[in-house]
This record gives sequence, structure tokens and C-alpha cells, in this order.
Amino acid sequence: MSEELHPSVAGAQPYMREERQGSGTTDEPLFESDEGRERLEKIRSRYPSARPALLPLLNYAQEKNGWVSTRAMEEIAGALDLTPACVHSVATFYTMYNKRPVGRYLIQVCTNISCHLNRGDDVLERFLEETGTRPGETSENGLFTVVEAECLGACGFATVVQINEDYVENVTPEKVPDIVDALWARAEGRDA
Amino acid sequence: MSEQSGSQEAVTLIIDDVEVTVPTGTKVLDAAERAGVVVPHYCYHPGIPTRPAQCRVCLVSVEGQGKLQPSCVLDAQQDMVVHTATEEAKLARKSVIEFLLVNHPLDCPICDAAGQCMLQDYAFETGQLESRVEEPKLVMGRDRIADDVLYFADRCIICTRCVRFMREVARDDALIVAQRGHRAYIDTFPGTELDNPFHGNIVDVCPVGALVHEDFLFKARFWDMDSASSICPGCSNGCNVSVASKENQVVRLKPRHNAAVNSYWMCDHGRGQLVMANRGIRAEVPLLRDEDGELRPADWKDALDRVASDLSELGGGGRAVVSPHACNESLHQLRRLLELLGFQGGEFRVEQGGEATLDGFPKLKLRADRAPNATGAELLGFERVESLAEPGPGEVLVVLGERLDADPTLPDAAFGEHAGYVLYLGTRITEAARRADAILPVTSSAEMQGTFTNWEGRVQRFDQALREAGIARPAWMVLSRLVGLLGGEGATRLEAADAFDAMAADTSGMEGMDWLSLGLKGLPLASPADVAGGAS
Repeated sequence: MSEELHPSVAGAQPYMREERQGSGTTDEPLFESDEGRERLEKIRSRYPSARPALLPLLNYAQEKNGWVSTRAMEEIAGALDLTPACVHSVATFYTMYNKRPVGRYLIQVCTNISCHLNRGDDVLERFLEETGTRPGETSENGLFTVVEAECLGACGFATVVQINEDYVENVTPEKVPDIVDALWARAEGRDA
Repeated sequence: MSEQSGSQEAVTLIIDDVEVTVPTGTKVLDAAERAGVVVPHYCYHPGIPTRPAQCRVCLVSVEGQGKLQPSCVLDAQQDMVVHTATEEAKLARKSVIEFLLVNHPLDCPICDAAGQCMLQDYAFETGQLESRVEEPKLVMGRDRIADDVLYFADRCIICTRCVRFMREVARDDALIVAQRGHRAYIDTFPGTELDNPFHGNIVDVCPVGALVHEDFLFKARFWDMDSASSICPGCSNGCNVSVASKENQVVRLKPRHNAAVNSYWMCDHGRGQLVMANRGIRAEVPLLRDEDGELRPADWKDALDRVASDLSELGGGGRAVVSPHACNESLHQLRRLLELLGFQGGEFRVEQGGEATLDGFPKLKLRADRAPNATGAELLGFERVESLAEPGPGEVLVVLGERLDADPTLPDAAFGEHAGYVLYLGTRITEAARRADAILPVTSSAEMQGTFTNWEGRVQRFDQALREAGIARPAWMVLSRLVGLLGGEGATRLEAADAFDAMAADTSGMEGMDWLSLGLKGLPLASPADVAGGAS
């Protein structure tokens, strides 16, 4: 990441900070590989019953594929002996689970009070311009999805933008082209 | 206070100035009902185990406690003083209702639930009849939840009764709340629908018009319907139901609470039985065969005189075939007629079907016997058989049918062709009936009063929901007149109560029963052995 990016720790678990591998449009089976089965066993072993393992497994699905498909929900339901409907309920409760495929970089722009006062709406507008998308839509190259977010809890550093699991703080509309450039560079391996 | 109540079996408290004593552990909402005070509630339903206290409409003031308390989960305690309608409680309720109405479409004029809607009722009670909301309403649309159930998301107040019914009573975790906050809605897993033999109950528990039965949609306004207490004829479980009718047509069946039989529920097979009550080309007047062999209409007096004289002149024995859809009283009068004529007994068959149990209330079960009164027929001396014995040459055949649609348990067209005389009592003129020497039109169970005896020997009463077809009369009335004309004892039974009391006095297992004590919840037979052994 370039110097302008101030990554904060978004997730408590180490894997949540790793670079997302898929383009966000894949829908790989979760538990058919050795790695997947290992992850399933590890997560299940932490809890006395099946149901609490649901959130970590949804996390895993999103980590692996970039989103949580209904197919993945059915797979998790099968692994935990829950009904698919029950998994669907939990997955839709949390807005942080992407129920549709997203780009390799999910850009969430806060427009809540502090960010709104610090031109958050203009930042959002600028991101949409730079990536050539509409809110929630994935760019044709599969790299970017820009969405409006409610308070991300970093009001002291408005406007705050979350890119995948990293926070970028004190964003102004003028800084947006550089941020998008940096993401392009990362995607192309120019600044690995 | 709590130390006191913990050691006592009952507690006494005051709710809206009414002193009431309830068992320890009773919730204030239930205690209030005993005191004659209905506390508004949405998420609480007496048949659903959990009480999430999430609708916040049942908040009440308790003296000595600063905050309003949700009465559905608050334990009644000794010396507690509760006020359900303080200004504070009313304001809280009003605020909740106002929030519920923010996105509500207020489409009561086209809503099936209008007139029996708890949102309508409470909104009216709060007295705030104008919305303060200026923003446009969120529009959610509608969805199909099951093949016969629609979901109007805009009307939904997310009380989760339906979700909890499916999870806790039907034990089928297929219905869930999706999304959250003001976007929350009820849903099944994408691409699936509810497919449970009991899922129709989610419509009954819905306090508003969010869940509706498609076959009832736009059919009738609540205030235009008549209602009668009845028994579901769909199987031998004998679920208590209310029959709602409009313009002499049954429009829906709803479960009626009976803790000994079906709790608050019924199965979807049973709901479909209403079609049966409306169907069929009915037998509306007595028909007698004349010298030319044609069936000709007659009035009751002529018809009964003729049948009585025919029966008294015929020798050679006879037998009966009955429907297990016939009520106890009719079967009893038929048995008296058979005894009077010295005929051998009667037989019946029972249509069979798949079973399904409501796991959260296992006594409610769609039973294999698809008829309401097989137990009663057996108790009253009729023999249950797999296939009906063909009457011999010259024998008299008496048929007592009840169902309006094609009844697979009744004889087919070829049955009884060697019989010397066929007396047919039925609701509808079947192929077999066309060969009868006399057809006496009788009412369906929706058009009369009577009793059924369910699978475990519970005798339950049903009331009349529809007008009779033509001049059809209850079979017990017709048969008791015939018995009288043939010299049997007892007057013609003009009331179901008389017919029942006469039967109870004459039937082992029913000793001491009478119409009055039967009430609307029914009574069990004296001894289960009688049910198993029959009356013989």
C-alpha cells in the first residue's frame, strides 16, 4: 500500500487482512479442498454446538470467494446441519456479507455525519467517476465496486473510506484519483 | 416480594384495580386476561412457546418500578400493582404503533385482514389518526411463501409469530426474518417455498394482513361472514374448527382452540375440506320410484309413509352400508331401524391417506383414517371392513352417505344390483343411488348439528354452518321418523340435542353424557375399552 493509505485493523482474525485473491465473481466450493475441510474442522472445534460456527464460516466463504452466494449458504447449512433458510437469515442480517459478487476492491465510502460534513458525498461521487460505475455496480474490468456506507466508526478521520478490510482516512475528493491509481497499480503488480 | 412469591403456589396482585389470584409463574399479560383486561400484544401468542417481548406493545406500568415493563414476560408477583393504561404506557404504545405505521401502506380497504386486524384495532385505540411522516414510504412488495400462501411485506410488522410457529411448533426451520431494521421481511430460502403439512397456520397467527391464503384472497370481508363452531371432517383427529361462510358458501376453515385435541392449530389437508361442503349436485327432495320405474319427487310425508310401508312388507332380510362421515345420531337412528326390521348390521369402509404429525403438539396428527367418525360408527355397532359384502338376491340395502364429493368408500354403480330393494339416504345422487327404490335427501355435516367421535373416543359437537339444500333434513331426523312409523319407541327427533340424549342413554360408553355437558369442547367416552370393542 502506498504511504497515503493508513490501514487500520478491520478484522480481528489474521486472514481478514490478507489480499483478496478472487476477482469477487468466483463461487468456489468451500469444503471440497483439504484446506477448506481443515478450516471447517478448526472453526467447528472452537464451539460446543454447530450454530455459533455459522459466522466464522460465512467469513470464510467471503474470504474465499469475495461474496456469499446462496450456493455457499447451502453448503454451510449442510456442514452445520442447519436449514439453508437459517443461514440465509443470518447472512442477510449482516450488511458486511456481500450477497452479490463484488469487484476485487470493494470501496465503501462513509457519508454519515462527520464524513458528510467533510465532503463525504463528494468523495463518493468522485470514486464513482474515477471507477466509471454506479453505486453497488462492479466495473467492467472486475476491479471496483463502490458503495455508500453508514458510519464506519472513524469519525475523527473523516472522510473515511474502507477498501476491502483496510481503512483509508482523511480522504478528500482531490485524493481519490491517487487512491484509485494505487489500486490499479496493485492490481497490475506495479507496486507489489 | 420475589422471596414471598417463590415459596407460594399462587400470588395475588392488582391489575387496573381488579384483584386477581394466579398460579406462581403466570405472566402479567395472562393474569390481566383473568382480570378482564386485554393488554395489546403482537409477538405474544399463547400457542407459541417463546415470548421474545420484541413488539413492545404490551408495556405496562408497575408501581414501584421506574420503567415500563413488557407484561408478556413479566412474572406476576405477590402484591404487585399494575396499571395497563397509564398515560406513560399509552404514550409508549402510541409511539410504537406510530413507528409500525411509518411504512405501512394503509391499504385496509383491499386487505383481507381488515376488521380482524390488531394493527387496525390498536392504531384506532391510540387515537392518532393522522400521520406525522412526510417522507415517502418504503415499498417492499409481495412474495409467495407457499403454494397457497402470499406474503405482503409492506403490511408486516415483524412480530415473528409465523417464523416461531414454523421453528417451534412445526419444527421446520424454513421460514426466517431476512435483512434487518426497517428493511426486514419474512422469507424462505431463495428459490424455495414452504412445504409443510401444517404451514397454513402461519396465516392464522399473523396479527395483521401480511400473510394471506391465496384461495381466500379478496373472497369475503370479515364483517360479511357468518361463523359456526364445527369439527373438521378431513380425518379422524377431530380438530375443532370455525366454519366461516358467506351467502351460504363456506369460504374458509379456521382452527378453534381445544387443548385436548388440536391446541390452536389444524393441518392444511383439513383447510381444504371446505371445498367439499360447497360441492356436488345435491339431492334436494325425496324421490320415489313409480310404477313405470321412474324416480319421481315426493314430499316428506308421502315419501316416509311409502318407505315405511315398503320396508314393513319386505321380507328376506337386509343390510346397511354407511359412510364414516355420518354423525353419531344418524348412525344410532339407523341402527335402531335395522334392529326394528330384524336386519343384520351394517358395514363401512374408511378412505386411507398418509399421516403427518405436528411435532410441537403431537396430539394433532393428520391421521390415516380420512373420515371424522369411524370410531363412532364402530361404537354404534357398524362393522369396519376392507371391502363391502354384496347384498344377496332379494335383500334390502340401506345406504347412508354423507359426503358431497365422490366418496371412494361408498359403493360404486354396480353395487347392490341384486338387492330386492334399495333405500338410499344421501346428500348427493351417486351412480349407485340411481338404482334406488327411494332416495331420501339428507343434509351434509355443514348443514346440521350432530356429533362425531374422534380416533381416541372424544365425542365432539358440530353446529350448523349452512342452510340445508332444498328440503333435505338431517338423517337422524328422517330415520327417527321412519322408526316411529314402523312402530318403534320414541318420538321423532326434531332437535340434535334430543337425538344425542336418546343415543347416549342407549349406547355403552356414552352413559351419563348429555348435549348440555358436551359443550363445544367435547367429552371422552367412558372407557377406552368400549372404543376398541365396539358396542356388540
